[in-house]
Amino acid sequence: MSISTELAIEASGLVKRYGDDVVAIEEVALQVRKNTIHALLGPNGAGKTTTISVLTTLIEPTAGSARVAGFDVVRQAGKVRQRIGVTFQEMVLDNDLTGRQALDYHGKLYSLKAKHRQDKITDLLRLVELEDAADRKIKTYSGGMKRRLELARGLMTSPEVLFLDEPTTGLDPQNRANIWDYIKNLKEQSGLTLLLTTHYMDEAEALADQVSIIDHGHIVVEGTPRELIDQMGADTIRITGQGDNTSYIKNVRSLPFVQAVNSSEGLIQIGVDSGNKRLAEIVSLAQGDDFTIDDISLTKPSLGDVFIKYTGRQLRDI
Amino acid sequence: MSAALTLWNKHMTKLLSHGEEGFGVLFQPILWVVLFGTGMKSVMASVMPGDGDVYMTLMVPGIIALTAMTGAIQGGLTLLEERLLGIIKEYLVAPIPRISILMGNAMSTITKSLFQSSIILIIGILMGAKFVGFDPAGWLGGLLLITLFGLGFAGIGLAVASKTSSTGGYHMLIFMLTLPLMFLSNSLYPLDSLPTWMQIGSKVNPVSYVVDGLRQTIFDAGSNFAGGEFLPLWLCFLVVAIFAAFGTLLSYVSFKKSVA
Repeated sequence: MSISTELAIEASGLVKRYGDDVVAIEEVALQVRKNTIHALLGPNGAGKTTTISVLTTLIEPTAGSARVAGFDVVRQAGKVRQRIGVTFQEMVLDNDLTGRQALDYHGKLYSLKAKHRQDKITDLLRLVELEDAADRKIKTYSGGMKRRLELARGLMTSPEVLFLDEPTTGLDPQNRANIWDYIKNLKEQSGLTLLLTTHYMDEAEALADQVSIIDHGHIVVEGTPRELIDQMGADTIRITGQGDNTSYIKNVRSLPFVQAVNSSEGLIQIGVDSGNKRLAEIVSLAQGDDFTIDDISLTKPSLGDVFIKYTGRQLRDI
Repeated sequence: MSAALTLWNKHMTKLLSHGEEGFGVLFQPILWVVLFGTGMKSVMASVMPGDGDVYMTLMVPGIIALTAMTGAIQGGLTLLEERLLGIIKEYLVAPIPRISILMGNAMSTITKSLFQSSIILIIGILMGAKFVGFDPAGWLGGLLLITLFGLGFAGIGLAVASKTSSTGGYHMLIFMLTLPLMFLSNSLYPLDSLPTWMQIGSKVNPVSYVVDGLRQTIFDAGSNFAGGEFLPLWLCFLVVAIFAAFGTLLSYVSFKKSVA
């Protein structure tokens, strides 16, 4: 079996240029295996929406190519559209319709038969817990409810690939957690492939099997959240204790994986390649010494720190 | 095609839940017919042959044209809103021919426009305009004229709606287009009495043709203002049909460039 049949999304060399000056994305490449969740993480303006617009056939790339669900997004756009679902950042729901009507019209657009539509609507309303609100107008829905309806609508047509553009932006923590649960369950239970864009590192860390970090139109690094974070090394173990810590510090310094040691007034800061891996050793090194540890803290780097490492800037809205 | 019908259906559903909007457009035309028409009836009775109803009969087609024109251009607002709110994205990622987005909008625009024109038609008849009675050919011909006329303006409206980036500019268009077009036609007064530049303007204005066409089909006016001639009926149909084709083409080209 060749690699391509395992990939739900593959893109290479994607470029989108507007006029002569504006380059929204450049050399963007992606490989998303089937039944995985892939996150495109980056600040606003990084090119996430442009990338997803190309992959969902909303716009054509200036250069490069992409295949989604096995079909070319430019030359076989119709076939791609039949197999994908999309939820948009700005929640493009029609306020004058009821939730049920919105789902129904969506199904009609995809030529679903009436009975099939009805069944899907019933299932999806139950899934996103909007059964009670289904016959109220969308303008009466809260932000969280609209997001859930948008998710239901994206699933209405049983897509192979679901694209989610900033699925939890503007939601409160409880709603965010709910949406995350729905997304995780979807992947487990339905064999769906999901590509989401986000500027929240916790979202990427919580959901993604693979993360691509994008900044200023370029993919800067890619990997599983774990790989990327472990790469960081530079975990900081902070130790406070009693006794003479001189020889302890000397011993710690000589460890091959320790990158830096600082101490001042009883606080020792140890930079290690991976706090997870090294904590036990650091702690056990203090035994048998004059020095006893009172308190330890470990700050784990996050994808936000990974972003800083690769771009020199913090991951925040521009 | 079925996608266009789905969109038409959706727009109609929304319209029904928003009845007031559809009727708001009728406010001005009703004013024209009821107030202006009644007022002019008595004035005109003294200068025109026959009773005052003759003026009403000649004037109502003009108001129908104004209604159809305004309604048709306003229809473009639906497309504009869908573009600006991003609702159109749902259609763009769906496996439907993109042109059905335009067709669906055109269909709902024409439906609204026809509905509104019919209301004015009825009111005009109630106010005394003489209609042709039982003459299916006349009625069908007249309705065809209104439909084609509306299609032309729907096309213009949709073309602008495909390109513009705010609703303000669009309302300006409606405002600046409709009344001048009505005054620069033979809707309210005879052509012969107008200065040459206005006569020329009126002759190239599709409003003049749909109005004279209506006067000869649905309405029974006998003769034009001050006993004048009508523009030939075949010419009326031809000009309005060409106008419809023009509007359709314009909207197609604009839409394709902006979206497809």
